[in-house]
Amino acid sequence: MKTPFFDARMDFPEMERTRAEIREFLARDPATKTPHADSWSHFDPEFSRRLGAAGFIGMTWPKRYGGHERSSLERYVVVEELLAAGAPSAAHWIADRQTGPQLLRFGTEAQKQDILPRIARGECYCSIGMSEPDSGSDLASVRTRARRDGDTWVINGRKIWTSYAHRSHYVLMLCRTGEDPAARQQGLSQILVPLDASGLTIRPIINMAGDHDFNELLFEDVRVPADALLGQEGQGWNQVISELAFERSGPERFLSSFVLLEAFVERARREPSADAAMLIGSLIARLAPLRGMSMSIAVQLGRGEQPNFEAALVKETGSLFEQDLAELIMREVVPAADLTSADKFQRLLAEAVLHAPSFSIRGGTREILRGIIARELGLR
Amino acid sequence: MSEITLIEETARRTIADGLTPAVIEAAEHGAWAGELWDQLAAQGLLQPAAIAQDAAEALEIEAAVIRAITAAATPLPVVETILAGAFLVQHRLEVPAAPLSLAAFDDSDRLSLTNGRVSGRLARVPWGRDVAAVVAVAGDCLLLLETRSANPSRGLNMANEPRDTLEFKEATPLARATGVDSDALLARCAAARALQLAEAAARVLELTVEYAANRKQFGRPIGNFQAIQHQIAAAASEVASARVAAQQARLALAAGKNALMACAIAKARANDAAAAVARMGHQVHGAIGFTQEYQLHRYTRRIQSWRHEFGASAYWNRRIGELILRDGERSVWSILTATA
Ligand SMILES: Cc1cc2nc3c(=O)[nH]c(=O)nc-3n(C[C@H](O)[C@H](O)[C@H](O)COP(=O)(O)OP(=O)(O)OC[C@H]3O[C@@H](n4cnc5c(N)ncnc54)[C@H](O)[C@@H]3O)c2cc1C
Repeated sequence: MKTPFFDARMDFPEMERTRAEIREFLARDPATKTPHADSWSHFDPEFSRRLGAAGFIGMTWPKRYGGHERSSLERYVVVEELLAAGAPSAAHWIADRQTGPQLLRFGTEAQKQDILPRIARGECYCSIGMSEPDSGSDLASVRTRARRDGDTWVINGRKIWTSYAHRSHYVLMLCRTGEDPAARQQGLSQILVPLDASGLTIRPIINMAGDHDFNELLFEDVRVPADALLGQEGQGWNQVISELAFERSGPERFLSSFVLLEAFVERARREPSADAAMLIGSLIARLAPLRGMSMSIAVQLGRGEQPNFEAALVKETGSLFEQDLAELIMREVVPAADLTSADKFQRLLAEAVLHAPSFSIRGGTREILRGIIARELGLR
Repeated sequence: MSEITLIEETARRTIADGLTPAVIEAAEHGAWAGELWDQLAAQGLLQPAAIAQDAAEALEIEAAVIRAITAAATPLPVVETILAGAFLVQHRLEVPAAPLSLAAFDDSDRLSLTNGRVSGRLARVPWGRDVAAVVAVAGDCLLLLETRSANPSRGLNMANEPRDTLEFKEATPLARATGVDSDALLARCAAARALQLAEAAARVLELTVEYAANRKQFGRPIGNFQAIQHQIAAAASEVASARVAAQQARLALAAGKNALMACAIAKARANDAAAAVARMGHQVHGAIGFTQEYQLHRYTRRIQSWRHEFGASAYWNRRIGELILRDGERSVWSILTATA
């Protein structure tokens, strides 16, 4: 049986320096006056620009691409501080976490020079174009097709659940470029498409919390230049897989509802009770080791490893925790949850409860994650 | 680090040689596994402080020994002897070369110290009948008490390990020291039990994965069924988080920073994680897991017993909550990040 690697030793002095820096930034920034649950689903370009200007986006990237050459743990610290403060981080989130690192790894020199510095400044935002109406968990079944025509790619098909496509600059697509229907995974490529391309229609989808976060994208003969391809033709699947640990292991997989816990504790400090103490304790006892696991993975990522097993364990444990946080507080308290309330606790409770169902869907469902863990354990 | 691996290997080999089926069987019926004990003592595994460079290394050696003994469900007071020794060393007292045990360090301890004599009761002392002495606390005094005159009344935990009640009547301690923080001792014991729980759970997981791969029904290994895979995957997550929580407690103890909080978290987490893993293990094993003949129960009975020792989940959850609620100045986040 394979044993996952976790090492919670954190003797990295630069971490605490970075923590002090980001805390100082957040304490002064107006956006943190109104914290949000699931704050990496709150889109605020002004905030992202200020964050970028202060050097907190693209932190680990080379300076020649606008990055700051800091360690992956320093980036970790910044990300968790953003979540803990409930700061509206959606605008830059995907570009910083996923698209940027993919560009860095697979992009051409021209792509890197063109896009990375803009992302790092907090000015350029990206979406993920993976899911389709008929391809959710079974991602390798995507049908959106990119056909080569001279020196352009011509794209036809549909993408769905594309978060912030209506406010971003690029969507990184997973498309079918191969002809062989049997070679499901080999026939896929990644293509970077500007969201203002002609032939591309973006239709809003409103989520159950009432927000317009995700979209449906219709591609009708959308043409992009040949050099919009990211990495190698036919390698799209492997490229996507190689970045999964970045997507699944971060603190956004367990801190989405954290601001609600903070508000619950504020309330409980005014009216302490044994029940509240017990609930707070039970949540902290789950949260603290999750942080240790996630930080351990950040160190591994910084060494260039691919801790996919460990990342799946974090996402599995983390999504359950961040859902339970809202659920257990709902069981405990009387005041009504209300998205429109001036009372911070009531508003955050509503935000957390209404967003919670998505925690075990986005980024790979609970069932898919458990399947991955089972495979790592040798059961599949 | 390789030093630690070496020690763990030594411990595993010693136990593999000494813990024969006959020894296990005899221990289940109350026999003292004396030969294995002597072997472990001869290897120097029972007093990490004596071979470690510093407190942090002593904790890592202790953890290595705990991993080894727990993986084999070793029926001996190894953890108790190591911790009793560590407490004596901490208070500059000499450590007797003999099996030792521990008080519970909670409300069940009823000891008083008057004019240098100790009277009262210690409930459910691990291997109280077999050990030479027990480390306990009265007021702010650390005591080493001889068990010979304590008239043990016998009890067992669910794994048939001795949990004996000791009565002291004007006993003279073998050694004593003042200025002891009983809460800190409890936390340290909780952290060690937490690691035992995590490692027992890891062993249950391992046995279950093996079993699921081999047991066939409906013409295929039961591990092929998604319902089985998902239960096991969820249990693997529990094991991982319990192990990390135990390591975090060790690190906090070594750093001497926020140790109470980290130990509390470790025990609360390990209690619940191990219980969930035990339940899963039994479900996947079917009837065979419910028998004496198959070894699963050696781990799950220990898990069920250890959950209650040195603090059940409700106790530690409440303590963690109170630490946070009473720290009116700081946000939860700043408390949590200071604990790291
Ligand atoms: C808030 C949010 C934001 C998102 N943003 C994006 C985005 O920006 N870009 C993007 O591409 N996608 C995005 N997604 C989509 C997300 O990746 C998919 O929802 C996810 O992959 C699951 O696909 P599905 O919704 O089609 O569910 P399905 O795959 O249809 O699954 C439905 C149910 O069936 C279960 N199931 C499916 N297959 C199996 C199996 N083999 N074994 C057992 N159970 C199975 C699932 O676990 C689930 O419970 C987002 C989703 C959400 C909720």
